[in-house]
Amino acid sequence: MDIRNQLICAWSAIGFAAICLVGFLFADFIPPISPNLSAEEVAAIYRENTLPMRFGILLIMSSAGFICSFAAALSMQMKRIEGDLVPVFTYTQLGAGCVTTLVFVFSAVFWTGAAFRPDHDPELTRMLNDIGWITLLMTFAPFIIQNIALGLCILSDKQAEPIFPRWVGYYNLWVAVLFVPGGLLTFFKTGPFAWDGLFVWWVPFLVFFTWYIVMFYILLGTMKRQAQSEPAVAA
Amino acid sequence: MSSTSAPPDSVKPHLPGETGVWMFIIGDILVFSLLFSVFVYDRSQEVALFVEQQQLLNQTLGLLNTALLLTSSWLVALAVHGARAGQLSRARGCFVVAILCGIGFVAIKYFEWGEKFAADLTIETNNFFMYYYLMTGIHLLHMVIGIGVLVFLWQFVRGMEFDAQGVGVLESGACFWHLVDILWIALFALLYLMR
Repeated sequence: MDIRNQLICAWSAIGFAAICLVGFLFADFIPPISPNLSAEEVAAIYRENTLPMRFGILLIMSSAGFICSFAAALSMQMKRIEGDLVPVFTYTQLGAGCVTTLVFVFSAVFWTGAAFRPDHDPELTRMLNDIGWITLLMTFAPFIIQNIALGLCILSDKQAEPIFPRWVGYYNLWVAVLFVPGGLLTFFKTGPFAWDGLFVWWVPFLVFFTWYIVMFYILLGTMKRQAQSEPAVAA
Repeated sequence: MSSTSAPPDSVKPHLPGETGVWMFIIGDILVFSLLFSVFVYDRSQEVALFVEQQQLLNQTLGLLNTALLLTSSWLVALAVHGARAGQLSRARGCFVVAILCGIGFVAIKYFEWGEKFAADLTIETNNFFMYYYLMTGIHLLHMVIGIGVLVFLWQFVRGMEFDAQGVGVLESGACFWHLVDILWIALFALLYLMR
């Protein structure tokens, strides 16, 4: 079976992770701008690094669409588990995955709003900066549904030779748990649950990007097995 | 795999549940360990405040919750034993009581939190109460998922088939419930008891 188109979509995981991370580095967003800074301090950051920030945020924006194509690649393998009749976890995963694109799109829009006129009122700069970070890190809802749908789908695979290794199902449920604390940033300006803290930034950030790398490798394996097991469909 | 080349089953150490579940459990314990470490570190920065605020917690309710969880864990273990021995109705009974214990835990938490809110102690009061609400809250989320798992197992036992896979499902679910139990015991010691 010809898996070329699937491969293109699978590789978008690497495209997304690489471009997005370079964007974060250019914008100097690792670690994040602290939620504890005064308006004047935040405005100064945007004033002094305007050009690299604009460019980095542009890269983050450019990477966002790849999330959709990767979710589609995952969906094709999930559909082999669920079949054509009721691929309900498949659709859930695809939908939630595509919403994740919006998270990155809108974060980039708000940060650009802050970097667009670096000389405007510091209060406005800080507010746009706030909304950008909140959009990125509080929005755990689509991520966890994507992971739970994928996890449950993998665990429901009753075939003698499962499409995905079963541990990947549990791995996805675990990843879902790790994103939930993001919602807590609403309460804090400092500490481990502020948006630059351990459980809202460092753990989810690390887990999010490793998830793309891990799922990319897993997906390559499933596609390779599909190419071998279904040679009749070869184009 | 041919049965002649494999070692006999009795020699192999038995890992309850399937291997993947253990990956989840160890992963979850890892995250909680991280949370507990951060708590202990922050506590060491403000020991006096933490010890003083701890007095405001209701140790009796905490202990009651510990007893409920330990009982439910024991019942779940009995249920798995019963199911393995083919005593399905006994297993189902054990699951029902374990589920009730779980619901009792959540109800007590509701009153405990209510008591704290009434005394104006919220997640924003100070660092101790931040950790109190976060740690008990994240654990409560595990409880709710765990009760869902027990309800599933209770139904599962009804039409259960006695193959390795059926027992595997049962043990996997039970392991998750024991995880919820163990996390609470660590959390109870850290929040309510540590001086």
